[in-house]
Formats: sequence, C-alpha cells, structure tokens
Amino acid sequence: MIGDRILGILMLLLAVSYGWEASQFPEPFGGAEAVGPETFPLLLAVILGVSSLYLIVKPDQDQPWPGVRTLLDLGFVLAVLAIFSAMLAPVGFVISTTLMVGVLCWRMGARPLPSVLTGVSSAVVVYLLFNFVLELHLPAGILKLS
Amino acid sequence: METLNFLLQGFAVALTPEHLMFAAIGAILGTLIGALPGLGPANGVAILIPLAFSLGLSPAASLIMLTSVYAGAMYGGRISSILLNIPGDEPAMMTTLDGYPMAMKGKAAEALAISAIASFIGSLLATIGLIILAPILARFALHFGAAEYFALFALAFATLGGITGKNQVKTIVAACLGLMIATVGVDISTGNQRYTFDILELYEGVDFIIAIVGLFAVSELLFFIEKHVGEGLAAAKLNKLNLKMSDILHVIPTSLRGSVLGFISGVLPGAGASLGSFVSYTLEKRVVGSKGQFGEGDPRGVAAPEAGNNAAANGALVPMLTLGVPGSGTTAVLLAMLISLNIQPGPMLFTQNAELVWGVIAALLVGNLMLLALNIPMIGLFVKLLSIPPKYLMPVVTLVAAVGIYSISNSALDLYFMVGFGLAGYVLRKLEVPLVPVILGMLLGPEMELNLRHALAISDGDWTALFSSGLSLTIWSLAFLGLALPYIVGPILRRRMENARARLEVPEEGD
Repeated sequence: MIGDRILGILMLLLAVSYGWEASQFPEPFGGAEAVGPETFPLLLAVILGVSSLYLIVKPDQDQPWPGVRTLLDLGFVLAVLAIFSAMLAPVGFVISTTLMVGVLCWRMGARPLPSVLTGVSSAVVVYLLFNFVLELHLPAGILKLS
Repeated sequence: METLNFLLQGFAVALTPEHLMFAAIGAILGTLIGALPGLGPANGVAILIPLAFSLGLSPAASLIMLTSVYAGAMYGGRISSILLNIPGDEPAMMTTLDGYPMAMKGKAAEALAISAIASFIGSLLATIGLIILAPILARFALHFGAAEYFALFALAFATLGGITGKNQVKTIVAACLGLMIATVGVDISTGNQRYTFDILELYEGVDFIIAIVGLFAVSELLFFIEKHVGEGLAAAKLNKLNLKMSDILHVIPTSLRGSVLGFISGVLPGAGASLGSFVSYTLEKRVVGSKGQFGEGDPRGVAAPEAGNNAAANGALVPMLTLGVPGSGTTAVLLAMLISLNIQPGPMLFTQNAELVWGVIAALLVGNLMLLALNIPMIGLFVKLLSIPPKYLMPVVTLVAAVGIYSISNSALDLYFMVGFGLAGYVLRKLEVPLVPVILGMLLGPEMELNLRHALAISDGDWTALFSSGLSLTIWSLAFLGLALPYIVGPILRRRMENARARLEVPEEGD
C-alpha cells in the first residue's frame, strides 16, 4: 500500500515539474506552430499525472521489502559498482575488475580465496580477450608497461 | 514467387562462411544464456548488443548473431524446467508440468530431446509463417499515415502488460517514464533543448542500451543479492538417451498444433510466448483427453508448450519487423539493436533493406537447424552449466555488461548511468512496475512524437485528426480493449495458470 502511494506521489511530482518545465520552453525559431517541442511532453505529463493519482487512490498490496541488513548490502554493492566505474580509467582494468568481481563474489556468499581467484582470472581473461583478440582497448592504468 | 526469390537471396547472405560462424556463435551463446540461472533472453541479448556494436560488426552479422542468441535462449530455457522443475524463463513454465515428471521417471534425456525437436518444429513453422505473413503485413502497413502510427504505438503500450497483466496503470506509468526519458536532449524538429539542464552529455539524450543493461542486468544482480541465493543448484543427473523413431512420430501432431497456436499468439499484440505455451498445453490436453497422462510425464505435454513458446517467439518478430512495434521484452531489445544499427524497422524495411531482412530470416532457419544439431549431442555440457553457482556467475555477468557499456564510448559517466538505472530497475521491480514499457518508451518515443507532430501539423493542430480515419479508430479501439481486457479475463487466466502449477506442486510435497 504505502509503496505504491509513495511511488504515486513521486510520479505526480515528476509529472508536474516535467509539465511545468515543458511549458517554459522558449518559442522555437521561426515562430510558434500548432505543435511545438512542448506538445508531446505536456501530453505525457497529463497521462502520468492522472495515472499517479490512481496509484495514490488505489494502491496495490506491497511486496515484502528486505530488512536493514540486506538494504545495506545492496547499497554496498551499488557503491562497489560506482567505485569500479570511477577507478576503471585511472587505475586500470585489471585491478579494478579484480576488486569489483572479487568483492561481489564475496558479498554473494563465496569464501575469500575463491572470490579473489574468480576476480583475478575473470579480469585477466577479459582483458586479454578484449585487447588482443577483439582489439578493443581497455585501460591498462597503472599496470601499463613502458 | 517474389518472396521465394527474396528468400533465396537471403540464403545467399546467411550462408556465407562468416555469417554461418556468427550464427553458430549466437546459437551457442544463446543456449548458454537460456540455460544459466538468472539470465533470460532479453537480458542476454541486451548484454551482447554493446559488444556487437563496439566490435564494429556489419549490420547483417550483428543481426544474425543476435537473432540466433534469441532463438538459442528460447531453447536453453527449457533445460532447468525439465531437470530441476525451475523454469529458466517465464515461457518455459508450462514445460515443467510434464517435463519434470518425465525426468523423475528417469527419462530426462528423452524429455530434453523431445523438447528440442518440438522447439525446432515450432521455430521452423513460425519462421515459415513469418516469411508468408510479414511481406503482406508490410504492404498493408504502407497505408498507415501519421495518425495511424501514433495510434499503433499507443496500442503497443496498451497491450504490453499482456492479457495476464496485473495492473495496467503501472504499465502506463512505466511507459510514460520511458517516453519522458526519450524526450531528453535536443529536439530534432526545432533544435530546442529539452530537459538537458545545460549538461553537455545530455544533449544527445540518454542511450537506451545503457538503460537496458542497467534495468535488466544490474537489477538482476541486486535481486540475487537480496534473496541470498548464491549457492548453485543441485547437479542434475542425465540418463542415456533412448529415443525411438516412433517416440518422435508420436509427438509430431502435437508439435504442429502447438506451433500454429504459438505463432498466432506471438503475432497478436499482448499475448506473447508465455500465453503461447499455456494455450498450446491446455488445448493439447483437451484434444488428447483422457488418453494422455498429462501432468504425469506425458511426452506430448513437453512437446506442446515447447513448440508453442518457440513459435510465439518467432511470431513476435512479425509485428517487430513490419511495423516497428515489438510485443515483448526480448523483441523490444532486438528493436533497440536495429535502431542502434541505424535501421528503422517498419514497412519500408522490406523494400529498403530487403537483403538484410531476408538474410536474417534465412539465418533464423539456418540457426534453428544448428540449434537442433547442437542441442542433442551437447546437452550434457549445458546440463553441467546449470550447477554453476550464481555467486561466481553473477559478478562475471555484471563485469561483461559493464565492459560492453564502457566500450561504447569509453566514458565512466555511462557506467554511473548504468548503475543508476540498475537501482531504478530494482525499485521499480519491487513495486511491480514492469520494466519493458520503460525500454519501449525510450525506443519508440522519438518516432511516436514525430508521428504526433506530423498528424497535427497536417490537420493544423486539430486533435480529432488522430481519430478521423476508420483504420485509426480500429487501432484505438483495439488499444482500449488491450487496456480493459486484462481486468475482465486476466484474473481468470491467471488463476488457471496458477492452478496448473499448483496441481503439480501438491503431489511433489507428498513425496
């Protein structure tokens, strides 16, 4: 119930701000016409607005949400993925991938040693495959030779 | 005759050694994707698109490879249904009803072989149906004007929830979200900036491939983590294959009936492969009646849904190729691939890119033969894959997805977007908001808006022009039906599908 209501309220806010933004578009070069860049967005804003009202009035039963520990786990995984994205270019593919895959395996319940092994081997295999067989260049980062 | 000529040209494209190789790679990858836990066909194709893209494959080669992946994934989904009573994807659900009992009786290898043959018959007949029906539909669609196309896109969204869809309003919300994302960027008609907030990277809009990979692959990883299902499934045992010619002949009539039904439900908007396999199974049960032992391991109960869902998968290509309107998640992903290769699907596809389309259709035929040839001898390998624990598999899959995205434009920002879409996908799935309409909205948004503008420009801003022709009125009423029907027949159908599964699960608990 509450989940759908929150979704409905957020969607309503989105619809209103999206529609308001559309009504603020500057008039296109060459003068206004029957249909402009704002027509379609306004239509969408109306449809989304009406649907979100329905969600607020008639919400479905909620699915069980995970507990705090699992939510922390999920947040941790998202953070790992974000750190991986940030590390990729400066630090290099092999190191960041080893970390990302290793940590994810570990968070999914694998023991530390197999996790590290999966991380290292997938990093090295994908790196070699991409750079030498498929000729797509992944960043070498600090491991770059010469 | 003209069609036959085109088809022969298509074979000339498909049978070049390079394309044959890509079809084989696609077929193997597809079966792997279908067989591995947690990777559906839509997911698999989505992960492979950026790779095909950044490898610089020709449009024909990438299309051939990815349609083979699609066909292969439909084959692969049945393996865990039969051996472990866990459907690899939704359409494979009905296969568990008789497939698993057959495996319990020590006839797993036979069940797998029969399902491979039924899948082959289903795909083959549906490809023939596609060859006959697609050019006719394409010719008919040439009569469509802007108003009709706008209505058609609305129809696509209205029926996307499917006849068994639970909450149509959530489908609409999802579609709106997708369409809204599609409006981000510089407006193609006027050059106005919309929702870019002066961020340079947003001028070109949001890349739908990033959205697809994030929504499907990353959110799947999050679901695996939430459910703490890192351990592998118990290794399944496979007996030695003992299939007689008479066993095959026994299931041929069933497969033929299932194929026809499956093809029809694949072509129709809103039905899809799940319903295709359900209808095929229930009808077969009725036709055979008390002579069969359905639910207790009747081979015909394996053949019917498998023929049905494979036929439906290929049938779904008809509206996707001829109208540019996909009816399911996986065909939406295939549409994404076409658009990213700069090929606009629709009626003109059959005249402008005839060689390519027919090449792909021919490749489907070739791919199906390959799949049959692969599936019977290599089944032992695919069975072993089932027991790979997700705790090692999912991180590597996420890696491959991320590498694919990164290789498109070497930008970390794309990866952040992917993670963001993954989080959004997780939350939306938790709230039971379907993700396919979001994708479809992103894909169809630009075309939909263009057609709305054309229609309104012709009528000088008169909105009634959208409903003026008989054809557009028909499409609008179908769209309305598509939205309303699930409320009327949906609960009944859903209950029947659940009953069918419940009946299977009760005796199992008694064991």
